[in-house]
Amino acid sequence: MMNQGGNTQTIAAVDPNSLENRHIVNSTQGQTSSYFPSTTGSEASVWPIHRVENSSTDNGIHSHSTYQYDQHTQPPASSSASLGTVNAPQDYSSYTSYPNTADPYGYGSAGYPGYYNNYQQQSNQSYSQPVGAYPNTGAPYQPLSSFQNTGSYAGSASYSSTYYNPADYQTAGGYTSSGYTNQTTTWNGGNYANYTSQQYAPYTPETPGVYTSANATSTPQNYQQHYKQWADYYNQTEVSCAPGTENLSVTSTQNVGCPVPGVIPAYQPSDSQPPPSYTPSWRPESSSSELPSVQSGAVVGGAHDGYWNHVALTSQSQIHHISPIQAQFQKPLDQKTSYDSFQDQQKIACSQASCIQYPASQQVPYVSHTYQTPSQAVPSVDTRRVNKLQIPTNPRITSHVTLGLPKIDKDISTTNAAAKPAYISVSLPKPVEKVPSSSSADSLLKTGMFPKSLRGYVERALARCKDDAQKAVCQVVMKEMITKATADNTLYTRDWDTEPLFPLPNEDAINKELNSSNLVSSLANYKRSPSRRSKSRWEPLPEEKSEKAVERPASFNSGSLSFAAWGHVNDKERKPLVWSAGSKNDYISNAKFPSLELKSASKITQKPFKKQRLSDGVGATENGDASSDSDKEQGLTAYYAGAIALADSPEERKRREHRSKRFEKVQGHRGQNNHFKPKNAGAGNLYSRRANALVLSKNFEDGASRAVEDIDWDSLTVKGTCQEIEKRYLRLTSAPDSATVRPEDVLEKALLMVQNSQKNYLYKCDQLKSIRQDLTVQRIRNQLTVKVYETHARLSLEVGDLPEYNQCQSQLKSLYAEGIEGCHMEFSAYNLLCVILHSNNNRDLLSSMASLSDETKRHEAVKHALAVRAAVTLGNYVKFFRLYKTAPNLSTCLMDLYVEKMRFKAVSCMCRSYRPTIPVMYIAEILGFTTITPTNEDTEEKDSEGLEECIEWLKLHGACLIADNNGEMQLDAKSTSSSLYMPETDAVSHGDANLAVTDFFTRTPS
Amino acid sequence: MAYLSMGEAHRRINDYLNRFCDAVSNQDGDSLKRLLSLSSNNPSILSLADALNVFQDANRLIKQSDNYSQFGEILVHLFRAFQSYRVGSFVDSYQAFEKAANAFIQEFRNWDTAWALQALYVMVYEIRVLAERADKELATNGKSPEKLKGAGSFLMKVFGVLAGKGPKRVGALYVTCQLFKVYFKLGTVHLCRSVIRSIETARIFDFEEFPKRDKVTYMYYTGRLEVFNENFPAADDKLSYALKHCNPRSEANIRMILKYLIPVKLSIGIIPNDWLLEKYNLVEYSNVVQALKRGDLRLLRHALQEHEDRFLRSGVYLVLEKLELQVYQRLLKKIYIIQKQRDPSKAHQLKLEVIVKALKWLEMEIDVDEVECIMAILIYKSLVKGYFAHKSKVVVLSKQDPFPKLNGKPVNS
Repeated sequence: MMNQGGNTQTIAAVDPNSLENRHIVNSTQGQTSSYFPSTTGSEASVWPIHRVENSSTDNGIHSHSTYQYDQHTQPPASSSASLGTVNAPQDYSSYTSYPNTADPYGYGSAGYPGYYNNYQQQSNQSYSQPVGAYPNTGAPYQPLSSFQNTGSYAGSASYSSTYYNPADYQTAGGYTSSGYTNQTTTWNGGNYANYTSQQYAPYTPETPGVYTSANATSTPQNYQQHYKQWADYYNQTEVSCAPGTENLSVTSTQNVGCPVPGVIPAYQPSDSQPPPSYTPSWRPESSSSELPSVQSGAVVGGAHDGYWNHVALTSQSQIHHISPIQAQFQKPLDQKTSYDSFQDQQKIACSQASCIQYPASQQVPYVSHTYQTPSQAVPSVDTRRVNKLQIPTNPRITSHVTLGLPKIDKDISTTNAAAKPAYISVSLPKPVEKVPSSSSADSLLKTGMFPKSLRGYVERALARCKDDAQKAVCQVVMKEMITKATADNTLYTRDWDTEPLFPLPNEDAINKELNSSNLVSSLANYKRSPSRRSKSRWEPLPEEKSEKAVERPASFNSGSLSFAAWGHVNDKERKPLVWSAGSKNDYISNAKFPSLELKSASKITQKPFKKQRLSDGVGATENGDASSDSDKEQGLTAYYAGAIALADSPEERKRREHRSKRFEKVQGHRGQNNHFKPKNAGAGNLYSRRANALVLSKNFEDGASRAVEDIDWDSLTVKGTCQEIEKRYLRLTSAPDSATVRPEDVLEKALLMVQNSQKNYLYKCDQLKSIRQDLTVQRIRNQLTVKVYETHARLSLEVGDLPEYNQCQSQLKSLYAEGIEGCHMEFSAYNLLCVILHSNNNRDLLSSMASLSDETKRHEAVKHALAVRAAVTLGNYVKFFRLYKTAPNLSTCLMDLYVEKMRFKAVSCMCRSYRPTIPVMYIAEILGFTTITPTNEDTEEKDSEGLEECIEWLKLHGACLIADNNGEMQLDAKSTSSSLYMPETDAVSHGDANLAVTDFFTRTPS
Repeated sequence: MAYLSMGEAHRRINDYLNRFCDAVSNQDGDSLKRLLSLSSNNPSILSLADALNVFQDANRLIKQSDNYSQFGEILVHLFRAFQSYRVGSFVDSYQAFEKAANAFIQEFRNWDTAWALQALYVMVYEIRVLAERADKELATNGKSPEKLKGAGSFLMKVFGVLAGKGPKRVGALYVTCQLFKVYFKLGTVHLCRSVIRSIETARIFDFEEFPKRDKVTYMYYTGRLEVFNENFPAADDKLSYALKHCNPRSEANIRMILKYLIPVKLSIGIIPNDWLLEKYNLVEYSNVVQALKRGDLRLLRHALQEHEDRFLRSGVYLVLEKLELQVYQRLLKKIYIIQKQRDPSKAHQLKLEVIVKALKWLEMEIDVDEVECIMAILIYKSLVKGYFAHKSKVVVLSKQDPFPKLNGKPVNS
């Protein structure tokens, strides 16, 4: 909002129209600003739409991020900002890097990554939603559509450019002035994401019907296409943008490693040179919508701007906006043809607008190039003009920066600008079209990475903060540090563990922020309780289930509140608000949910979004339903469809995104497989959440000055809100995020899903582990828990995965000990067998035998296990293999793992004891190759097979076989006793070839 | 408790403080020991505890005098431990006592000679006993008992103080034994290994120089460990050592040793006299011994079943179970002797069906295949010399010593 304020000021100086546009643009990020100028009416509706879109995406943050990305992509300067945002919240950094390099391409890519993230994580649904958001905006715009496509675009573009410029300036100024910009950007990004999500959410309620419908329908298609396309774009962008992209490329690489660092470098370069260049370009736009070049610039930078402008202007712009978005998306895939399809798909019917936009977008690429080039070379005429304009704006921005608030403004502005341009840029990149997607994916993936120590550092720093304002300031400072570090390339080399913490910022500086934040928070406070599911404090909330119902109103309220807050901010100082946003999450959360204090604002925001989605899907509009349907059709998986229907999936997606980003570069290829979480998801969010969580916990301790022992763990226990049934396992490295934790009923479904799944063990194992994790995190210990562990234990037994089995067994032991019902007997038997056959520890065996009750000992399976034990201790192989044949349940599987050993022992024993020969037939019988009583005719065939197998086995172990007079195979005992050996076991004991390759630990050491 | 006047309380406390300081300054380990033995229910300590409960400001007394305050860290916590102990709060008492002991160790470290070793023993002992009581208290309150574990790590610290060179090393074995007790109680026997290693590998100190009682205790525990490992010769050595050096009047200790020594001896083929079992009330073994003597498989199984819980708890169940092969050996030998009486020329051929029939008489339902398997195992383990002819289903015994005695060697595994 601060940014908007700054922008508006600058704009005011320039043009009233531009101001409006700017406002709009800003509003995208800082919606409030847009609202201010337009004030209610159509504009308001438009905004709500946007928000709705975001909210619909559930991911909220992600979707927002995508928006931001788009905006970022357009203006190079903004790109830096966007980068910052990217880093902080999620994968933004990668995006940002792209934008920097080639304006159009980079933007497109940036936007795409965001999309990707959404897609991967959320699957189609999420994408569809974000896309939908765009279309939605278009929809509202259409009604307004007084502005015609071209004209409006030009105008809007110019406006947007001006806006963007300010934004850029701010960002640039911030950067130039201090390393802050990068950091801030990242943080801002996070804030933005949050903001957007929040704002959107509230808005959505207001204008639910129209927005939702449009959003839902349009988005899914686009997204899908976009995924691949985006990747291509990314690749292309790098290539094409080579000259301008230096920064970009660098950033991208850096992004790979760490989103933030990459972003930072990009920013810095951009700051030094690009900002001016950018500004000029923008200025031309703003100053003159007349020039075609300007238009292009406007289009590029201002596609989004245009959107915004449209919003402000309303009517025409809407269509245009929609179309650009679609066009952009389409372009990657089909380019122009795709546009048509997009239009068709989009119910908004932006066909004309889209067409117009496309040209515009094409122009835009040029513009973007010019932008880039300007930074390096001399800016074009437009750019020059822009420069003049920019200069004035910059000072303001810089001043803001100095205040500390400016950062946020920058971010916002940048994000806005960037986001819009990104779309435009997308359209431009068409030529590049299908470059390998890998690069983009990689960059995205890479972006999520911070050094662990750095994370710890950030958490430590944040933990010191006494309040949100301080936190925000700290975040800013840290962003700065991180940017610097990235610039120095010391981000990874520096020892963050030993890095001294910076002094806490002044209270005064904080106070401003606080004031602003207070406004927000006060507004937000209204319906905190409903919104706050996530945190422990709230945990006791009985309203959880009713939350959904409540949430809507709450979100509305918060939305209105937030608007009000924004307005205040604008009036007073936008900067403070923005900075408060610096604690982005908090602000957001406050706005929507007063739960700033709570760990993750983002989580909270997500929740409302989800709810909104639901509401949209359910009651909002037919369109929305239709869209959801289409989504489903396009839906990657049935699960997802289900999840989408529930509208709960977004959070899950987010999580997945985060995780996938961090860990699963490989999954980029699987982008379409939603099962595997998307890579891109905002790692930044994760971090911020962690930090917040830390702060929370600290606050907890500080506030009550309680000892660790006295902490009420019940109140700190996470209550999951995620509705996604499928979830990949990722070992937690921080406080759990309730948005990514599934509640018990969902876990039950998940368990069912796994049980009925036809997929391989690795998949099931992964799923079960995530279920187990969610159970543990929520401290659920009941029959479901037992069931999950039993299921997993059985599965792992079936494939002979003893390590996993042992984990489950030890948990089951304590669960049974707590008196929770389950298949206690069955598992005591397994436990016994496991100890007997595999651990070979007499003490363990004794203690587990001693712990058997008489009742247990009478149980069939336990009896069997005890008999096996006796046979093994005595070496009675005949008994062992008889028991092997009659093993109940999965005892066979456990015994399987011991069969080889037992056979070898038996044969070596027989060789020593028997003279002169032993019939192989007998051995095959005794050692379980054939049934022991081969009297049945039906089994004859089997027996001959078993005999063959036995002969093979004996030969493999170095036995000497001879044929006697009757032609029957005999084992020469004496010579075999010296030649017998245990071959290296290459065979996988469980015989599953799939596992043999991938799963080394399933091999039994024998 | 009778009313205790303030003055009397004050006097008792001062008296205790005086005695403590005198004992330290005189390096009188025995007196000091008596001042610390909390769980002995020594009347002087009990009355002191009463006094402390009346006179709440004992800490001021300690601080008043330089004489006392130099041991303030010890005394303050010690007093609190006494107080809590007196009112039956063992968790608090343990915590305070551990702090006192910690402070005591610091002092102990600075004393050149080992004069306070006796006092340290008391400290160590009290720590363990208090921890056990505290755990009981915690368990009844539904909390997780963890004090004994804490005592274990504290004793490890004490061990570190003693284990070095010098005169204090004599005390290391006592601490080791207390540690064994803790670990066996906790079931974390694997932790013993590091202590054992440092005792057995340090050549600075001859094992024989340790106090006898500690040596016996040490051998008892390490012998038990060897039983778990089924390393019977080593277990035999250690437990026999313990038995030999154990005070013959402490029958309980002898019984404890025999409880493990008898199964060990049995499994290396040495059978105890009946009177031994009776004298030390180890009748649970008598049926096992009978079964071994008679080759009565049924009796062995019954005996095992009858005392299963006891054997499982003491950890000898698996050892006894393995006697089954010796019982088979005995049975075969009996059949062999009978055959020899009838027809010496064919005595060395034991028909499988005969063995199956013999087992049937014992009501052991074991079919031919299984018996054949057992014969193979007996031959494989050198309990029977000879070979098995599958075609004719006959065990062909060696003409020389077909049933070799174990003679102190374990069964081949």
